[in-house]
Amino acid sequence: MFNKSISTKTPRNLLLLFEILSLVLLLVNQWDNIDKTIYYIWIALILIIYISNFILNRITSGDNYIFLIVSMLMSIGIIMIYRIDSELGFKQLLWFIIGIIAFYFTYFMLKYIRGWKNWGKLYIVLSYILFLITFLLGTRKYGAINWITIGGHSFQPAEITKLLLIFILAFYYSNMDMFKDRKYSDYILMGLVYSFIGLLFLQRDLGTAVIFLGIYMVIQFIHEEKRMNILYNIGLFAVGGTLGYVLFDHVKVRVQTWINPWIYIDNKGYQITQSLFAIAEGGFFGTGIGLGNPEFIPLAYTDFIFSAICEEMGIFIGIGIIMLFMILVYRGFKIALNQNDKFFRILAIGVSTLFGIQSIIIIGGVIKVLPLTGITLPFVSYGGSSILSSFIALGILQISSEDMSYKEEEYCETRK
Amino acid sequence: MYNLISVLFKYVFIIIIYLFIFSIIRLIYLDIKSISPVTLEGNAYLKLINRRDSIPYKIKEHYSIDGELTLGRRSDNDVYLNDPFISKKHLKIVEDEEEYYLEDLDSANGTFINTERVEDVVKLSNGDIIKLGSIEFLFVDRG
Repeated sequence: MFNKSISTKTPRNLLLLFEILSLVLLLVNQWDNIDKTIYYIWIALILIIYISNFILNRITSGDNYIFLIVSMLMSIGIIMIYRIDSELGFKQLLWFIIGIIAFYFTYFMLKYIRGWKNWGKLYIVLSYILFLITFLLGTRKYGAINWITIGGHSFQPAEITKLLLIFILAFYYSNMDMFKDRKYSDYILMGLVYSFIGLLFLQRDLGTAVIFLGIYMVIQFIHEEKRMNILYNIGLFAVGGTLGYVLFDHVKVRVQTWINPWIYIDNKGYQITQSLFAIAEGGFFGTGIGLGNPEFIPLAYTDFIFSAICEEMGIFIGIGIIMLFMILVYRGFKIALNQNDKFFRILAIGVSTLFGIQSIIIIGGVIKVLPLTGITLPFVSYGGSSILSSFIALGILQISSEDMSYKEEEYCETRK
Repeated sequence: MYNLISVLFKYVFIIIIYLFIFSIIRLIYLDIKSISPVTLEGNAYLKLINRRDSIPYKIKEHYSIDGELTLGRRSDNDVYLNDPFISKKHLKIVEDEEEYYLEDLDSANGTFINTERVEDVVKLSNGDIIKLGSIEFLFVDRG
């Protein structure tokens, strides 16, 4: 049924074709005044992606689909961002190159430095430092205090804390034997995670708070031995969520505009209604790149990139993006199942949950299935810190896909 | 001019992206189809390092070593691989008092452990890479 004609080269070449065609489209569009730098960088990125996919086949014994999937996602994203705002598109290209470097950096760091599973305290301290920095230096942007600006570059510390949380959870659950003797260690962990969530709540960064909770719940559900703790967690979540709704206005607004945005169309509900108009305008095949009006949607290049893509490239591409995320998360879980080392197994589950939940929340938000919260669509949206943390997460997933068991034993033996 | 091309390209893009998704799903399908439930008896096993979908014949991801394991091209071996670079009876792995020894059965193209050619019998240790032809196995001993 499946002949040999399909090989790992096929998706790689299709990706290359897609990128070259988009370059041709750009060339036709700018025929009168061509800006050369963008072509150089775009071609450089295409080469980096192609060579990366080629090299990864050689250097890693693990998975070689995840990088391909992500390359496709970011190619779709960059076309849309460049079409909305060429200056941001230019920056985004540079961010992607930095992101791919970060991917390799993470990969080799995790591969050659041993003992990541013993540094739990460091992860906890680092997370609190990042929260502290945010509160001291943070500026309010789009309603949430989650940006710090250093030397003209804005940065979102919560993007890094997300990954630290996964490391903390992996540290705790892979060293279960050590914590079993200590009383209340599970409650301390719960308190720790809820303190993070509370701090995010104070920063009004609701989307990230939900991601934190989601990752915690999934890993707890898989690894917690005291099953009652899961119920406590759900109970706490229910009580906390209700309290948040009653006490904080900004939570209430999100729910109101979700239930019926049409009566607030000229203020609070503007974003979501514009997003729905855009998706409806596009139809199945879209209006064609450059022929729609995605600039009517506020923040079309970050949070609402999905609606902008649906408008100009069609619902079919939108469904395609959802499918790409599904394959990515599926690969992540398969990697976790095959991994023998517990620490890396939990890292893989955490990272795939992160990608899954983050894309569900934001895609659900812009199509009015879930209340809208401002987070980015991984690998697609514009945003330096988001791209960076997503690529670091991908590096973690890549290393988790390799067989670590014999390396760890080697490590234990040398320590004896 | 641009409008026409843009409208044309949107269909092309949709086709390419869907072909991309389906080719990946197909590769994943091939990958899953050849997974047999891993039942690893004993402490030691061989793990395939090559990507399975790059090998044009039947091969498993894991082979557990239960006392003795023979490998070769003929079908009466415990592990038989239809590879032209593998001899009919290529190698044998024997367990003796919780140690594992690899013996090369005078194969034409030889067996390599960590790039060193096996002359007679070599003791295997955890993490050794066994190479025969273009196939590479990782030797894992959990004992």
